[in-house]
Amino acid sequence: MEKYGIGQPVRRKEDVRFITGTGTYIDDVAPEKLTHAFVLRSPFAHAKILSIDTSEAEAMPGVLGIITGKDWMAEGFTPIPTKSGVAKKIDGSPLNQPERHCFAIDRARYVGEPVAVVVAETLNQAQDAAELIEVDYEELPSVTDARRALEDGAPRIWDDIEGNFCLDFELGDKEATDKAFAEADHVVSLDLVNNRVTAVPIEPRGAVAEYDAASDSYKLQNATQNVHANRATFADVLKVPADAIHHVAPDVGGGFGAKNSGYPEPPILLYAAKQFGRPVKWINDRNEGFQSDTHGRAQFSKVELALDKEGKFLGLRTRTIGDIGAYCWTVGPFTPTGGSARTQGGAYLIPAMYYSAVATFTNTMPTDPYRGAGRPEASYQIERIVQHAAETLGFDQVELRRKNLMPADSLPRKTPMGLDVDSGDFPEVFERTLKMTDRAGFEERVSESREKGLRRGFSIAPYLECTGGAPKEFAGIAFEKDGTVTLRVGSQSTGMGHETSKPQILAHTLGIDFNKVQFVQADTKATPIGGGHGGSRNLEVGGNAVLKAANAVVDKAKVLAAHLLNSNTDDMEFADGTFTDVKTKQTVSMDDVIAASFEKGRLPDGMEPGSLDTDSTFEREVISCPNGCHAAEVEVDPETGAVRVEHYWVIDDFGPIINPMLADGQVMGGVAQGLGQALMEQIVYDDEDGQLVTGSLMDYALPRADSMPRMELGYYEDAPTAKNPLGVKGAGEAGCCGAPPAIVNAVLEALREDGVTHIDMPLTPEKVWRAIVDAKR
Amino acid sequence: MYEFTFHQPETLDEAAQIFAHADDGQFIAGGQTIVPVMKQRLAMPSDIIDLGRISDLEGISLDGDLLTIGAMTTHAEVAASQDVKKAIPALAHLADEIGDPAVRNRGTIGGSIANNDPAADYPAALLGLGATIHTVTRAIPTDDFFTGMFETALDEGEVIVRVSIPVPEKAAYVKFPQPASRFALVGVFVAKTADGVRVAVTGAGPCVFRVKEMEQALDKDFSAAVLKGISVPDDGLNSDLHASADYRASLVSTLARRAVAQAQ
Repeated sequence: MEKYGIGQPVRRKEDVRFITGTGTYIDDVAPEKLTHAFVLRSPFAHAKILSIDTSEAEAMPGVLGIITGKDWMAEGFTPIPTKSGVAKKIDGSPLNQPERHCFAIDRARYVGEPVAVVVAETLNQAQDAAELIEVDYEELPSVTDARRALEDGAPRIWDDIEGNFCLDFELGDKEATDKAFAEADHVVSLDLVNNRVTAVPIEPRGAVAEYDAASDSYKLQNATQNVHANRATFADVLKVPADAIHHVAPDVGGGFGAKNSGYPEPPILLYAAKQFGRPVKWINDRNEGFQSDTHGRAQFSKVELALDKEGKFLGLRTRTIGDIGAYCWTVGPFTPTGGSARTQGGAYLIPAMYYSAVATFTNTMPTDPYRGAGRPEASYQIERIVQHAAETLGFDQVELRRKNLMPADSLPRKTPMGLDVDSGDFPEVFERTLKMTDRAGFEERVSESREKGLRRGFSIAPYLECTGGAPKEFAGIAFEKDGTVTLRVGSQSTGMGHETSKPQILAHTLGIDFNKVQFVQADTKATPIGGGHGGSRNLEVGGNAVLKAANAVVDKAKVLAAHLLNSNTDDMEFADGTFTDVKTKQTVSMDDVIAASFEKGRLPDGMEPGSLDTDSTFEREVISCPNGCHAAEVEVDPETGAVRVEHYWVIDDFGPIINPMLADGQVMGGVAQGLGQALMEQIVYDDEDGQLVTGSLMDYALPRADSMPRMELGYYEDAPTAKNPLGVKGAGEAGCCGAPPAIVNAVLEALREDGVTHIDMPLTPEKVWRAIVDAKR
Repeated sequence: MYEFTFHQPETLDEAAQIFAHADDGQFIAGGQTIVPVMKQRLAMPSDIIDLGRISDLEGISLDGDLLTIGAMTTHAEVAASQDVKKAIPALAHLADEIGDPAVRNRGTIGGSIANNDPAADYPAALLGLGATIHTVTRAIPTDDFFTGMFETALDEGEVIVRVSIPVPEKAAYVKFPQPASRFALVGVFVAKTADGVRVAVTGAGPCVFRVKEMEQALDKDFSAAVLKGISVPDDGLNSDLHASADYRASLVSTLARRAVAQAQ
C-alpha cells in the first residue's frame, strides 16, 4: 500500500498509453461521416476587408460550405468576452474592450486572424477551395511594438480607442515608495524586456464538433485545458444553453496556458457541424500555431531599487508596458497588471513597493497566460535589479541577497503588494541551495573554463510564487461491486500526471489498492463543475477536493464498519485501510466495508446499497505561495557568443510533495521553458509590415534535450501551508520563475570582465557576441 | 499537399523517360526538402519520381586515395561507414551532425548537393575536399558545381549518380548551428589536400564559397595561428533574424581557426 501512498515516486499510470502510442489525442478522434475544416487566416497585420468572394471556392469538389465573418454576424452571434481579473482602469472606468468575434469582420488586426472557414470532405479539398477564396484587402499601417503603439501618431488599431490604450493599473504605496527613494543612499535602475514567447505544446490545438438534431445538442471534443469555462463561453457566443454542449477533452499533449482560453475556432466548428449536418474536425498545423496560439510575456519594464549604505533594500518601483495584442483575449489584460504585481519584490523584505502598468493593443496575436503569467516577469525584474545593484554598487551578489531575504520570523507577512506569505523559510532554502552548488570549487572550474578559452559565471535566484486559477473544484468517488473505484475530477491533466497523483491521494486516504482507481477528467457530463488546468492549481485545489471527498467516504464507512463490528461509531479508529474498535480491538478493512456496502443484509437501518459514493466540492480561500531558490553555472564562448548552462540546482518549497517524481518533472519542464525564454525563444514581428517572422520551428528556437544542464533538485517540506488541508503550494509554474534570472545573471556574471552589464532576453549567440564586441569599443 | 503522380523507376533510363514525359516532373531522393515544401503547398509538381530503387545510385567504396559515395547514400550510412571514417573522419563527423536521426536516415548526399541549400553541410565538404560530381552524362568538379543559392550546374533532368572524393591528408569541419533549425549558421570545412589547402564556407553567404586568402596562408603554414587577422568581408554575406553579416564574418574566422586546430 505504502508504495502508492502520498509522498511516493509512483510511476505515471498514463505513460504506458502515451509512450506506446495508444493515447487518444484530438487527431485520433474520428466519428463517422467526418468532414474537415480549414481556417483561412489574414496574411496582413492590419487591413480592411473590402469584400470576400467565395463563389469559385464553393463550387470546388467536396466542399460542404464556407463561413465568413459576414455569415457569422448575420447569425447574430456574440463576441467572446474577456474575463480579466483586472477590468477597471485606475480612474474606475471599465477597460477598453473591443469586440472580439470569432472572425475578422470588416478589418483584420493581426496576421493569422480567422477570415473564413472552409468545410469539405477532406482537408486537402478544404485547402484547395480556400486558395480560391478571393479576399479584397486594403492594407493599413500596422504597429507591433507596444512602446511605439503608445506614441503619438502611431497607427490606430481600434477607431474608437485612442492611443491603443486598454487600461492602466497600480498597486502598492506610491507615496511611501517615493519617500524611500528620496531618502535612499543608492538608487539603481534597469530597463528590461520580457520577450514575447509562445508555448508550442507538442500537440497543436484542434477540435471535433458534432451536432445532434434530435436533441438539438452538441458534442465538442477539444484539445483544451478547461472544458467547463470554455463551454460557458462558447454557449454564450452561440446563444445556446451551456448544457446543450457536451464538452470533452481527450488526452491533451501539453497546454502551458496556450490551450486555456476561449479560442474562435471551436464555436465556428460547432456552428458548422449544425449547419452542414456532419461532424467537423479542425487541427491547427505547427506553423498556424505560431500565428494563432496565444503568446505570453511581452512586457517592457523600468525597474528601480532603492538601498541604504549597507545594501538593505528600502523600496522597489516598477513601471510596465504590457503588450496584449490586437484584442483583450480571455484574461490577457490581467497578466501585465494584477498578474505581474502580486509577487513584485520576490523573496525579499522590501518595506515600500509600487507597481504600475499600462496594457496596450498592437497588431499581433493577443497574449494570454503562459506558464506563470506575470510571476516569471516579476521574478526576472527583481532578480535582475538585485544583480545589477550588486554589480554597480560593489556588493557580493550572494551577500546582498542573503542580507535582504524575508527572515523566517517575519512570516506570516502580508507584502506591500497584498500577498499573504504565510509559510516558508527563505534563508534556509537559500543556504541549502547554495550549499549544493560547491562554491568552494568554483574558482577552479573558472580556471578550467578559461583554459578552453571560455568564461564561467554563477548566479543564484530565490523566487516567490503564488498560485491561481479557478478556486473551486469538484471530486466524485463512486464504488463498483467488483472493487474498482471511479474518481471523477474537474481539474485537468494535460500531461502532468494527474491520473497518477490524484489516485495516490485517494488510495492513501482510503487505504485501498491504487490500481483499482479509475480516473475520469475533462468531461462536462462527468462533473458538475470543473476548473480545468491553470495557475498551478492541480493539487492545491483539485488534490484537496479529492482529499475532502475521500475523508467524507471514511466518515460514512466508519458508520458501516461500526455496524459490522457491533461497535459504536465513536469507538472506531481508521488508519492504513483498517477500522479498529479501540475497546475490543476488533478490526475490519476498508475493502470489506466497501464490499459490505453493496449487500443490503449487512447494512444498518437507513443505509442504502452504494451509499459510500460521494460527491464533494472544495473551495480554496486564499492562494498559496510556492517559493524556492534556483542557481545556475554557465559557460560562455566569447568568440561565438554561445552560452551553455553547465549545472543547475533548485530547492523548492511546494509544501509536502505528493509524488516527487512528478514534482521533479514539473520543475525540470519549467526550467526548460525558462531556459528557452532566457536563451533562445522569441516571437518576432516585422517592424515595418507586421509580418510574423518566426512563423515556424525553422526560426523559433526551442530548447532541446541537449540544451539542458545537469540538474540537482531538492524539496523543503518543513513548512506546509495552513491555507489548505494537504498543505501544498503548487508546483507547476515555479520552474520558469527561477530559471530566466538565474541563467541571465550567471551569463552576465561570466561577462563581467568584458564590461558587459546587461543583455535583453533571449541571450542568443549573436547578442552575447555583440555585447562583448560593443563593450570593448 | 497538391495531388501528384508517384513513380518508382528501377533504372536511370526509366527515370529519365518518366521525367521527359512529365509536365512538371520532380526527382525525389530522401525528400527532406521537397516533402516539407510540398506539405506547405509551396510546390506543385505533376510527377514525383523516386530514385530510391535505382541500384546504380547506391554504395560507398574506398579505392586507394579515392572515396566514392553513391548519390542515394543516406547521411546515416556515411556517418556509420568504416571506409568513410577511415579515409575522411571529418566527413563521417559532418554527416553525423546533419539534422536529427530521422533526417539522417532519409536524407541523401545526392539530394543535399542537388538542392544546394545555402546552409547545408555537404556542399562545404565537397567543395572543401575538391570532390567530383558524377552525373548521368558527365563529371563536374565541385568548383564548377555550386553556382548560386539553391542553384547548381545540373541541367534540367540531369541526375547525380555518385560523388568521388580524393582522400585528403587532413580535414575538419566545424559548424556553428542556427539556434532554431540547427542548420549551419556558419560551417567551415578545411582540408589539406594533395593540391593544396582548401577552405570552404557554408551558411555565411548565398552559396558555399572558398576563402582563397586563408588557403594561401595555410598552404605556407597549416596552423590556426596564421589565420589571425584574416577575415572575410561582410559584403554579400547573409543577414537575417539569427545573424547579421558582421557576426557571420566573425564566425567564419573563428570556426576556420578551430577547424585547422582540429584537422587530423
